Amino acid sequence: MAWDYSEKVLQLFRDAMASKAGTHMGSIESPDGIGSHGSLSCGDALEFAFRVEKNDQDPRLDRIVEARYRTFGCTSAIASSEALCALIEERNLTPVEALKITNADIVDYLDGLPAQKLHCSVMGAEALQAAVADWAGKRGVPLAELGLDTAMLNEDEGRIVCRCFNLTEPFIRRKVKELNLRTIADITNSIKAGGACSACHHEPGGLQDILDDTWGPQESTSEARQEMPQSSSSMTRTPFQLSREIDRVVESEIRPRLKTQGGDLEIVEIRGKKVFCRLIGGCQGCSGAPQTMKLVVEDALKSRVDAELEIVAI
Amino acid sequence: MADRIIYLDNNATTQIAPEVLESMMPFLRDQFFNPSSTYPQAKEAARAIESARESVARLVGAGSKSEIIFNGCATEGNNSALWGAVRANPGRRHIITTAVEHPAVLEVVREMERQGYRATYLPVDRQGKIDAADLVRAIGDDTAVVSIMHANNETGVIFPIGSLATLTKKVDPLVVFHTDATQTVGKMRIDLQNDLKDVDILTMSGHKLHAPKGVGAMFVRRGARWRPTQLGGHQERGRRAGTENVASIAALGAAARMLMAHDESIRALKMRDRLESAIKAKVPNLYINGEGAPRLPNTTNIAFEFVEGESILLALNDHGICVSSGSACTSGSLDPSHVLKAMDVPFTAAHGSVRISTSMFTTDDEVDAVIEALPEVIGKLRLISPYWDAAKKGPRENVSVFIQEKYR
Repeated sequence: MAWDYSEKVLQLFRDAMASKAGTHMGSIESPDGIGSHGSLSCGDALEFAFRVEKNDQDPRLDRIVEARYRTFGCTSAIASSEALCALIEERNLTPVEALKITNADIVDYLDGLPAQKLHCSVMGAEALQAAVADWAGKRGVPLAELGLDTAMLNEDEGRIVCRCFNLTEPFIRRKVKELNLRTIADITNSIKAGGACSACHHEPGGLQDILDDTWGPQESTSEARQEMPQSSSSMTRTPFQLSREIDRVVESEIRPRLKTQGGDLEIVEIRGKKVFCRLIGGCQGCSGAPQTMKLVVEDALKSRVDAELEIVAI
Repeated sequence: MADRIIYLDNNATTQIAPEVLESMMPFLRDQFFNPSSTYPQAKEAARAIESARESVARLVGAGSKSEIIFNGCATEGNNSALWGAVRANPGRRHIITTAVEHPAVLEVVREMERQGYRATYLPVDRQGKIDAADLVRAIGDDTAVVSIMHANNETGVIFPIGSLATLTKKVDPLVVFHTDATQTVGKMRIDLQNDLKDVDILTMSGHKLHAPKGVGAMFVRRGARWRPTQLGGHQERGRRAGTENVASIAALGAAARMLMAHDESIRALKMRDRLESAIKAKVPNLYINGEGAPRLPNTTNIAFEFVEGESILLALNDHGICVSSGSACTSGSLDPSHVLKAMDVPFTAAHGSVRISTSMFTTDDEVDAVIEALPEVIGKLRLISPYWDAAKKGPRENVSVFIQEKYR
């Protein structure tokens, strides 16, 4: 898939790579607010930090004067982070005002993002919320007053719905409402949930159930899942007796001889009169292995069990 | 943007060689005739196809040129090999393949599962190798076909197809053994009469070996249990109906002759080893995927920890370098490469993988350019990455807080 990025996205990415003056890549020493979102297993993650000009009378009037990010992710993840910081600094916002920046603002700033990359812009908003919560704690601003959904801070604790990306039910529920996600494809494009193994799509309590809960059951688009007919081949072609005999000879004669050289034999499979086996331990990779196979294993099995046996080395 | 293009994505496709392009031209101009026509004017086209068949047969060491069937591409060949093998074995409902096949095999097998067949996907170890014992155990009474690629397109890891095919035939001579050799034909010696004598069907593609896109070939051993899947004409002895793509078939023949005339493997290996050791010396925290296994000489797959592959690709492209990645973000899906996942590459690294694949046209200068650019790009992305401590030149202290490795 060729890249389908706007010039703006490419520009911001290249500026960050070149550490160009005016970019917001980096960390802040003892920040007033810091938060992160995503993880390595997701394939992208963002750490967001800011410094405020403190208002001595009322901490709610603190203004963000510096915003910085560190991002692990694709081109658009890095550009989205840059956009978030630029928007906040440009507008000279208080942390509470900054919360009103939505992923739509970020997408606009970037002149659009490809549908599969929308989650990159959401990630920025999530990290911002975490950072503002951190600032609120440090400055003693009650969270409820911020209009911040305090439940969000405990979302990591919920039942995990999307196991591939470690996304919890409370998080997915909130995002479905906030971003008006109506289909599983919407969810995947926006927050990645269900984007990998897809097991959570239709399982009980899965994405479809969350959608139905939130918006009421829609006309089902899910394909009926059919049970595949499983033909069980339980017929064993190995006569039990033969296998027992082989085991006995291996145990009593072959193995003791191999053990003296630090080696061993694994019988992998017996099919008819063919014995598939391999030398392991000290015999493995030994230049004398084919010889050992012939003289120790094959001769013993043929003379003691059945002359028609064929020994196949793996 | 750089002004020169350094193309190092030859496992995706290759440039058409000048002499190969030359060989096509007559059939795009005056020799436009249908090779099946009876008048003498059409003879040249028919002759070109047979000469190409001869060359491709020699490239893969086939005993007879009639065992070579020209088709549209390796994907078509893989579809035809698998469906043709199960249709020729109607009593058998089980297919064995590996977890790391190309989608051109995996998706066909999944479709067969939907239609009621059973499938076994052989796992690979951390180095990308499969265990022959797993194959032997998997073969059952109703196994119709075993399909195992010759070398993996992402990592270059080579499977010991010769011995796996022989083992398969030892367990049950009626099982059809197919190998997708798209990545190996032209890159390593293939001998279907000696070490690969138990392979029934081998599929390959033209555009991976300096012929154009839209042409491929399959080897079907004489007497193999396989039925044609594309019907409607006598072409290719009724085994692949449809008027022949004469120009491209001629090109595939020319490419086969060219590749037999000069063996690139030693030069490719030297470039690859030089590249890998230089990058290893300059960049910490990386894995060479498949390093402990036998690999194609032209391929390296490097996973850099704490950075994301798509960003690496775009930044390298600003140096004019074209490579590819197993990262989720490059695939249009959100899942990282199924090959790296099957190899259990840690999540910290799977997202930051880069595949570099050379060809006969790759120069030492171009390798130098990568040795120059890649460490710089990784260094800059790590400066941006929240997991990296630039002063320490390693991951940040609290990094474990972030890392959730599902596949470990």
